[in-house]
Amino acid sequence: MPVKPRASIGRLAVQFGLAFALAMGVAGGIAFLAARDQLMEEADDALAHESSKLILSGEPNDSASMAQRILERRDNKIISSRGHLLYAPDGRLLIGGFDVKPLPDGYAEAFYRDGTRKWHRGRALTQHLSDGGRLIIVEHSEVGENMREMLVPGILALVIAASITGLAAAWAFTTQIAQRLDRTVKAADAIAQGDLSHRIPTTGLDGIFATQASSLNHMLDRMEQMVRSQRQFASHLAHDLRTPLTRLRGLLHPDQIHEGAAGHEVLDKAERECRSIIAIFDALLRLSEIEAGRRPTAMTPLALDEIITDVAETMEPVIADAGSQLALSAMPSATVLADAGLVQQLLVNLLDNVALHTPAGTRASLALAVTQDEATITVADNGPGIALGERDRVVRPYERGQGARRQGSGLGLAIAQAIMRFHNGALELVDNRPGLTVRLRFPIAG
Amino acid sequence: MVAMRVLVVEDDLAIAGQICHGLMARGYATDRAHSAQAAFDACHRTQFDAIVLDRMLPDTPGIALLGRLRAESHRPAVLMLSALGSVQDRIDGLEAGADDYLTKPFDMAELSARLVAICRRGGRNESAGEDGGDIAVGRLRLDAASHCASLGEEAIELNRKQFSLLAYLMRNADRVVTRAMLLENVWGYSFDPATNIVESNLSRLRTRLAGLGCDPIETKRGEGYTLRSDQCR
Repeated sequence: MPVKPRASIGRLAVQFGLAFALAMGVAGGIAFLAARDQLMEEADDALAHESSKLILSGEPNDSASMAQRILERRDNKIISSRGHLLYAPDGRLLIGGFDVKPLPDGYAEAFYRDGTRKWHRGRALTQHLSDGGRLIIVEHSEVGENMREMLVPGILALVIAASITGLAAAWAFTTQIAQRLDRTVKAADAIAQGDLSHRIPTTGLDGIFATQASSLNHMLDRMEQMVRSQRQFASHLAHDLRTPLTRLRGLLHPDQIHEGAAGHEVLDKAERECRSIIAIFDALLRLSEIEAGRRPTAMTPLALDEIITDVAETMEPVIADAGSQLALSAMPSATVLADAGLVQQLLVNLLDNVALHTPAGTRASLALAVTQDEATITVADNGPGIALGERDRVVRPYERGQGARRQGSGLGLAIAQAIMRFHNGALELVDNRPGLTVRLRFPIAG
Repeated sequence: MVAMRVLVVEDDLAIAGQICHGLMARGYATDRAHSAQAAFDACHRTQFDAIVLDRMLPDTPGIALLGRLRAESHRPAVLMLSALGSVQDRIDGLEAGADDYLTKPFDMAELSARLVAICRRGGRNESAGEDGGDIAVGRLRLDAASHCASLGEEAIELNRKQFSLLAYLMRNADRVVTRAMLLENVWGYSFDPATNIVESNLSRLRTRLAGLGCDPIETKRGEGYTLRSDQCR
């Protein structure tokens, strides 16, 4: 398998960098517009102030007196940053010194030039005088003009700088993420190659990365466990089949007598071996059928007390034939949502175990207890029981209790366990001192 | 008595041969078909009493053939045979119109007993007691209301399982019923118990019937059980 190149986040870094640059460009533009508005307001204030010094209430405001006032203010050198244009009522220029592009009345943007070829930009206030003359005051703002000239290169510089820092930051960020995810990738590669023991190292991880790694590790633990039990299951199955197949082959061997009464007996034995092989397969299919949970439609409200009584009636003669006894306690009524066929099999399996794996003289009992959210069936006996350390093992497929006869499919308790899981319930093996108690806990739907 | 005529629809030659051989040994007349189309044509030529139908055929699935046969006027009883043995597969087969369903690998005795049972069902020559009424075989009577079995003046009460067991055997009097048929029809179990539930319950029933002074249930080794009407006098 080819070794993958170190993981990178690819386009993500570029996308983040560009988004950052765009955001910076927009922010720069907004800042510029705000500053320009501020400067324009200041220029207009200055124009209003100048106008109030020239157009005086209670004094004649005709062209001639205006010309005189302007010249006075010029002499006093009060007005350095602004210029005045005064037109007589007949359009003659009375006071000038620079060109200006045509202007509307009131405050406006003005373009002017003083002798040079270059047009400047400023603010202007155009007013009509009492005799029909016209006064234009132009305010020159060096800052405003400079700002305007810097606008395009400024924003460009801002965007470029933002792009670079954005890309760098995004790259650094994504590299950090990639390094952390790289551990997951390496673990996945190792697992794909069959090494299920590999885990994602969690040292130095925090936040979502630590959570993700530990959740993946947990999943791997479960998977490893499942694969291990699957392997065990397969090898146990092969072993379990080997025994009856070996006996069968022996019975069919030419050395065996296959004629007459003795031959009949041999064929009967062979037939029994075949049956036990078929029984193993049937139980196996049944187990996988239950575990796959393919029949959710079979779930109906089921009266546990009735089904227990029914199974007890069937199994009492079986246990009696094995030389033991089965007693039934008084049953409270309890209804759970269940698959009747599976619950029958569950109870029959457990009572089969009593008949097959306890000595004659054993006393077994069936009981039912109900609480608000749980119904518990108890199958108890005073037989040899199962040692504490064995209890987890015997519910696994093909694991038999110590001293259990090699009878049955070896799947009885595994099937019982699967049936309880199917019902979202639990199967518990408890010490009955002496003997074994099996508790079957069914949830009661609220 | 005219021999029952059975069509065996099975594409596996060895299995088809075994079935035909086994059925002929039991006195049936048999025909073979190796595909659904051949089976359909054969049904047009000959009237069969029953069909042993493999579920998986090379041309059409057995279930589809069932659908085509159902549209015909005379439909033989159908025993479906399959390697698919889950509860759901069984339900699918029966819902498609099969009269019974048998999972491979099977036993000839089992197949034969089930064929007899479904042909009888199809013929409806015995309707009494089919749905819970009183049943009588000879002098042996079974009362559905009181769960009492009686022979002449003597009567005994049976528990529910013994009652159902005896009822099934009486309805199939003089015919072989197998352990699997009893588990399916008396107990309604779809699994194979590890212990011999049938044997233990039957021996209880026989002990109870001995109290009436009759022992009509006979064990046929390797085949099943029969309730003999000539023992109910």
